[in-house]
Amino acid sequence: MDTQHHFCRLEQREGRATLFLAGDWRLQQLAEIDAALAAAGMTALPLTLDGAGLTALDTAAALALLRRTAEGGAGIDGLANFNASHTRVIEAVRGRLLDTVSEVRPVHHGPLALIGMHVIDFRGLMEGHLSFFGRSAAALGDVAWRPRTLRLKELTAQFEQTCIKAIPVVVLVTFLIGVVLAYLFGMQAEKYGANILVVDAVAIGTCRELSPIIVAVIVAGRSGAAFTAQLGTMLLTEEIDAIRTLGLSPMQVLVIPRFVALVVALPLLVFVGDISGMAGAMTVANPLLDITPTTFIERVHAELSIDHVWVGLVKAAVFAAFIAIIGCRMGMTVSRDSRSIGINTTSTVVQCIVSVILLDAFFAILFQELGI
Amino acid sequence: MNAAAPAIEVDSIVTRFGEQTVHDGVSFTVPRGQVVGVIGGSGSGKSVLVREIIGLLQPTSGRIRVLGTDVWSASEEEMAALRQRFGMMFQDGALFSSLTVEQNVATPLIEHARVPPHLLGPLVRLRIALAGLPTEAATKMPSELSGGMRKRAAIARALALEPEVLFLDEPTSGLDPITARAFDRLVRFLCDDLGLTVLLVTHDLDSLLGIVDRAIVLSYGKVIADGPVKEVCRVDDPWLQSYFHVRRMLEG
Repeated sequence: MDTQHHFCRLEQREGRATLFLAGDWRLQQLAEIDAALAAAGMTALPLTLDGAGLTALDTAAALALLRRTAEGGAGIDGLANFNASHTRVIEAVRGRLLDTVSEVRPVHHGPLALIGMHVIDFRGLMEGHLSFFGRSAAALGDVAWRPRTLRLKELTAQFEQTCIKAIPVVVLVTFLIGVVLAYLFGMQAEKYGANILVVDAVAIGTCRELSPIIVAVIVAGRSGAAFTAQLGTMLLTEEIDAIRTLGLSPMQVLVIPRFVALVVALPLLVFVGDISGMAGAMTVANPLLDITPTTFIERVHAELSIDHVWVGLVKAAVFAAFIAIIGCRMGMTVSRDSRSIGINTTSTVVQCIVSVILLDAFFAILFQELGI
Repeated sequence: MNAAAPAIEVDSIVTRFGEQTVHDGVSFTVPRGQVVGVIGGSGSGKSVLVREIIGLLQPTSGRIRVLGTDVWSASEEEMAALRQRFGMMFQDGALFSSLTVEQNVATPLIEHARVPPHLLGPLVRLRIALAGLPTEAATKMPSELSGGMRKRAAIARALALEPEVLFLDEPTSGLDPITARAFDRLVRFLCDDLGLTVLLVTHDLDSLLGIVDRAIVLSYGKVIADGPVKEVCRVDDPWLQSYFHVRRMLEG
């Protein structure tokens, strides 16, 4: 039996038409049913539906039936030989047929409009960060005025998370960077017999540039992302609303401890990174370049001015401030669904890393001009 | 496919979490075309039971059949086929937050049914209309919907594949009484007009009295009453009596 006649058959007689339905009209056969209806060829005549042969009818099939008959311009005149449950299904779908028509077209924007929208979004983001920074600064001033409002417990907990627990990964990464640098410089310096200059390069390079950047990127990925995820989840579970309702300030309770902890933690981690980076270089300097640890340390003593270390530490504190502000603000601005926590966390990491690099470039120029 | 099998058969289910026994021999059968309510105090294992019936959580012992298929001994293929024949509405909707309502409802259709492309949109909107959501809700994200609308959107998604059985976990919790009654009418419509079998877990006395054909009462791991609500409320059990007593007090 071919499928068309299997599902439906149209008979026309004396200005009237009857559509005989048969078989299982179910969602799983929807494609065949729809094809059969299309092939039956609808007329504009008053149409009677005959359901004597129907063994099953679900709403999806009823929808296909009613849409096809409506497309043909036929008015359904009556239902014949339908059992009660099939009639109810037809009526349920018929009552909602209009709701299925309204096609809401998604709006598509041209490239120029997209650029414009991104620029506006970006401006909003920057304004938001700036105002959040202002509020944090005000809250910080408040804490400085009344030190008792500083939440010491939260501060130490955050410090443990952001500093103490980050030490192993910082040590590992900077140590390896030190090793790599010593190799890289060593190969060049050996050509000129200037082995000892490797120590200068590694010491100054690590303390001034590499350790602050590398450690800041690690912390951006570790703590910046954690701040966003923590505060975002607290916002979703209405904990932040509860803090406000209890008459506390989320700034004081959540943001300031994180901010202070990170601004203290990052320079300390950078200092750890300085030592560990130089240790890495020292480890390979002996076998590779015949520089004994004693010579290495003496050379560092003689050549590494304390200014270089300070430059790295000051930069680290500024990086930390940016990471903390971005991380906290992105957490407090998640919209009310779980997806936006993921989006904001990703955005935090990207923003933090980009701002660290931008700040570093700015500092390079600044210190150059200041002659430090 | 066993067309004559009852919708749900639960046979001496025992569930233990460590030392704690949640179900201690729970049995009941739900024939097709009924709205059955499962009630019981908090922690009496109602939601656990539903999760076991739909195959999310394995009971310690006992047998569960849905539409004739044994949920815990069926092969992966049989289970996949069965999953298309029932729908589940989780307590807070469990809508995919990255998709619009329309896309949420379309997901099962795209994955499991061969719907002609020109019918997909209308079919999705029919589901949304059947669940009683306004058309504008179709393009919204779940986060933009109220609690009641999220539940309706979840029903629309559960209805996508024309299920024969629908499980509702606390469908009216967190809704105002007016929205809750509208929800009750929706459930009744699904059962009466579309012929679905509905198993719902509820605390809501009004939906219980208003729409449920039969109530199953769980207490201390056992079914202590099973039957029409009028009979169930006469059962001599302290918890059940205080449960219905609240109602009698209100009505004076």
